[in-house]
Amino acid sequence: MRLIITIAAILAAIIGLALSILPFGSIALIPIILAFILGFIAFKMAQKEGKNTKLVKVVFLITIVGLAISIYRTIFDENVVEDDIETINRDKASEEDAIEELEDLDIDE
Amino acid sequence: MKPFILALVLLFSASSFSQNKTIAAGEKLTFTASYNMSGLLTDFAQVTMETSAIKTKKSTLLRLKCKARTFSKWDNFFKINDLYESYVNPQTLTPYLYKREINEGGYYKFMKYTFNHKTNSIKSYKKKRRSNGTYWEENKNLSIGGATRDIVTTIYHIRNLDIDKAPVGSSDTFTVVFDNKESKVRIKLLGKETIRTDIGAKECYKLAISLDGSDLLKGTNDNILWLTADANKIPVYATFKVAVGNGELRINSATGLKH
Repeated sequence: MRLIITIAAILAAIIGLALSILPFGSIALIPIILAFILGFIAFKMAQKEGKNTKLVKVVFLITIVGLAISIYRTIFDENVVEDDIETINRDKASEEDAIEELEDLDIDE
Repeated sequence: MKPFILALVLLFSASSFSQNKTIAAGEKLTFTASYNMSGLLTDFAQVTMETSAIKTKKSTLLRLKCKARTFSKWDNFFKINDLYESYVNPQTLTPYLYKREINEGGYYKFMKYTFNHKTNSIKSYKKKRRSNGTYWEENKNLSIGGATRDIVTTIYHIRNLDIDKAPVGSSDTFTVVFDNKESKVRIKLLGKETIRTDIGAKECYKLAISLDGSDLLKGTNDNILWLTADANKIPVYATFKVAVGNGELRINSATGLKH
């Protein structure tokens, strides 16, 4: 049972870290909190059984890193759109093509 | 991104080319698109809806443009850069030309419809990028119904409807041509509701949207659109349930409104 909970905690911590690196913002907190809870349970069980707690400590480390990145991104990542020259030119070219195509259109007909 | 754009678009439609009382050139609406997971939101894209006057040799048309762009923080992982546009009669919002260019994480597709309202047909052109980087093209002539519109025009056209005269609980079905296919869209007026938005607290019409014969928009009352209950009928908020989960669109700013 302890092993299953530890593996689940590792998986949740890795998913949490991945989501925090990707700009998922607060959604990354779901697996991070889950990893922390499972890690805590696994840690208590390991202590009770007198087993090695190194693996669980790794889970906590990954969780803390994921949490820090997630909080940082939630606070400092801004919703900015980069209006690159390629997009601006595409808009312009599309309009010019449309004018050319609709040149002979008479909407009053 | 396609489902998000379609979800936004399918929230609108109508059955006839009536007089335009709502849309003017120079209007710009900006939205934030978010993905919702267990109540936690992540903002991923900006959606803009713009109108401008276009002069040709013989006429002045209205260009209706919808753009979807991922925020810069997402661009390194999955970049979306979509452009949907329609060139319409400014008095009746009758569409003459529709173009859709989508760039989504390496996927590229371009669609163009040239409408012929005398013969109730469209000339369709499609260009798509293959996985090896080469392109293939397809030209088709399609027959459409007299009241069929493209997806962009329908977005704007719903704002022209006299929703204030419709009783709560009433519904209507409309036809939209998308990917060379006509689809029936059902809209139901659920009532009025005041909601808080970035442009202030607004009294809104609450509309439920569903798409007949498609599983693109899941559920019956999961896809809801809030339109301001004033002369501008601005879409200020929308929630939608699609195959990949739940999403929402929130308005950030509205400028150049007619009323």
